[in-house]
Amino acid sequence: MTKDGGIKIDVWVNEERLEKLKAAGLAEIAREKFAGMMVLEIACTEELKDALLRKYPSAKYDSSTTHSIELIPREVKDGIFSTALRLHSTGPEVIGQFLQEKKD
Amino acid sequence: MNNLGHNDKPVVEHIMKGEVEKKLHGLPVLPVRREIAHEVISMAYGFFTPVSGFMGRDEVTSTLSRMELPDGSLWSIPIVLDVKQEEIKRLGLKPSDSVLLEYLGAPLATLDIDEFFSYDLGKMAEMAYGTRDPKHPGVKRTMEYSGDFVAGRINLVNEPVFNEPFSEFWKTPLQHRQAFAMKNWKNVVAHQTRNVPHSGHESLMKQAWFAANEDMPVDEIHTGVLVNAIIGEKRTGDYIDEAILLGQDALRKGGYFKDNVHMVTFTLWDMRYAGPREAIFHAILRTNLGCTHHMFGRDHAGVGNFYKPYDAQDVLKAERDKLKIKPVFLRENWYCPVCNEVTNEALCGHENQSQNFSGTLIRSILTDGVKPTKRVMRPEVFDVVMSSADKYGFGSPFVTNEYLNSRQPVFNLQKMEVLAS
Ligand SMILES: [Zn+2]
Repeated sequence: MTKDGGIKIDVWVNEERLEKLKAAGLAEIAREKFAGMMVLEIACTEELKDALLRKYPSAKYDSSTTHSIELIPREVKDGIFSTALRLHSTGPEVIGQFLQEKKD
Repeated sequence: MNNLGHNDKPVVEHIMKGEVEKKLHGLPVLPVRREIAHEVISMAYGFFTPVSGFMGRDEVTSTLSRMELPDGSLWSIPIVLDVKQEEIKRLGLKPSDSVLLEYLGAPLATLDIDEFFSYDLGKMAEMAYGTRDPKHPGVKRTMEYSGDFVAGRINLVNEPVFNEPFSEFWKTPLQHRQAFAMKNWKNVVAHQTRNVPHSGHESLMKQAWFAANEDMPVDEIHTGVLVNAIIGEKRTGDYIDEAILLGQDALRKGGYFKDNVHMVTFTLWDMRYAGPREAIFHAILRTNLGCTHHMFGRDHAGVGNFYKPYDAQDVLKAERDKLKIKPVFLRENWYCPVCNEVTNEALCGHENQSQNFSGTLIRSILTDGVKPTKRVMRPEVFDVVMSSADKYGFGSPFVTNEYLNSRQPVFNLQKMEVLAS
């Protein structure tokens, strides 16, 4: 879980993704956000945020209200979700690992 | 049929018929940009009744200072055609000349020139939008005008041929009226939109339906919702036009509205984001389509913090006598986990638990391509938005630079011999 004010990436979770989270024992960390829609909040550091924005220039950091990185391309979000699932984590290492793999 | 529009002026089409090419032969040709072409088409079909041409100085001044036309009709937004002095000189134009307006390399309309005039753009912007701040998109648009204008009546010479999916949703004002009559609608409530509908919008339309039905018995249904999308200038991040129309239509196709209470159409118009003045304009526009009621929610046609959330409702209240259409004023819908439904902030008492439909939130769900719960957006709407993204949006339901540069046009104009001569 991210601390209040920490940088995060919201990955939306639908039924299909919830099943995968359940299988990985991670279902309880998905948080209900809006009218039954769940999110997985992936924590992000300042450095990782900058690296992500450099790699995906369409993405924007909302510094004023949500402190989340928005407009990340769909495939990238899919990749982040898979990495979180694989690492059994929502910590900053997820983004670290994801970017590391994208480098290769 | 009674085809009286705004201020009881008849809705009349201005379309040249018969041997058009011959009539156009030899006219000087003035190319126009998309915004102007859209306004020409809208005026020619009577969407802007009683305005049937580009305004002269007196009309602009009375619109700006008194919010009315010289004939006393309520009117809020200047409809002007700016031209460059060099262009006037190049074509040797003078008052009482006719000129052929050209768009997409084809003849569009004739303009019978009444007047040339110049206007202080800063003053025009400030009076229309209440500000000179160039961050206001309407102000920016005004300041980009050349400052020299040509006024006169227009006659459409080439009717636009709409591409799909627009062709399915295009209706002129007279065709709107015929369609309402076919459905036996006595009351029609207009929903102004530039959005793909989420469940909050859907509920607003349903609430408005009951308001618009007024005291009519419900054993037989004589009230409909007209979803009239604004199709015009796009900016990156907006929903693509195709997703808006098909998404709105999916609400009826999915059975969330019955066939006999719901219809989707569009109007060609560039939003000015003029808040209260734009609200008046929308009311006039939908009066001309034959609507009896019009939905106005929070911050109607506003932008940024230029207008207070209920400014538009206040001006509609003040100008109520000059409008034939009845405003239906609405507060926002939210999702309430206690009520366990999408409900209205005017009704639900669980303010602390309520969850607002925010555009950012819906956008983020759609960007991820994750199918929302039914309480957020109907699956049929989501599916059609995603397929529109693939078919028309280069993979995105939101406008990208690629969409702006390479989208398929909304309509085409037939080529005519006249320009070749
Ligand atoms: Zn409630």
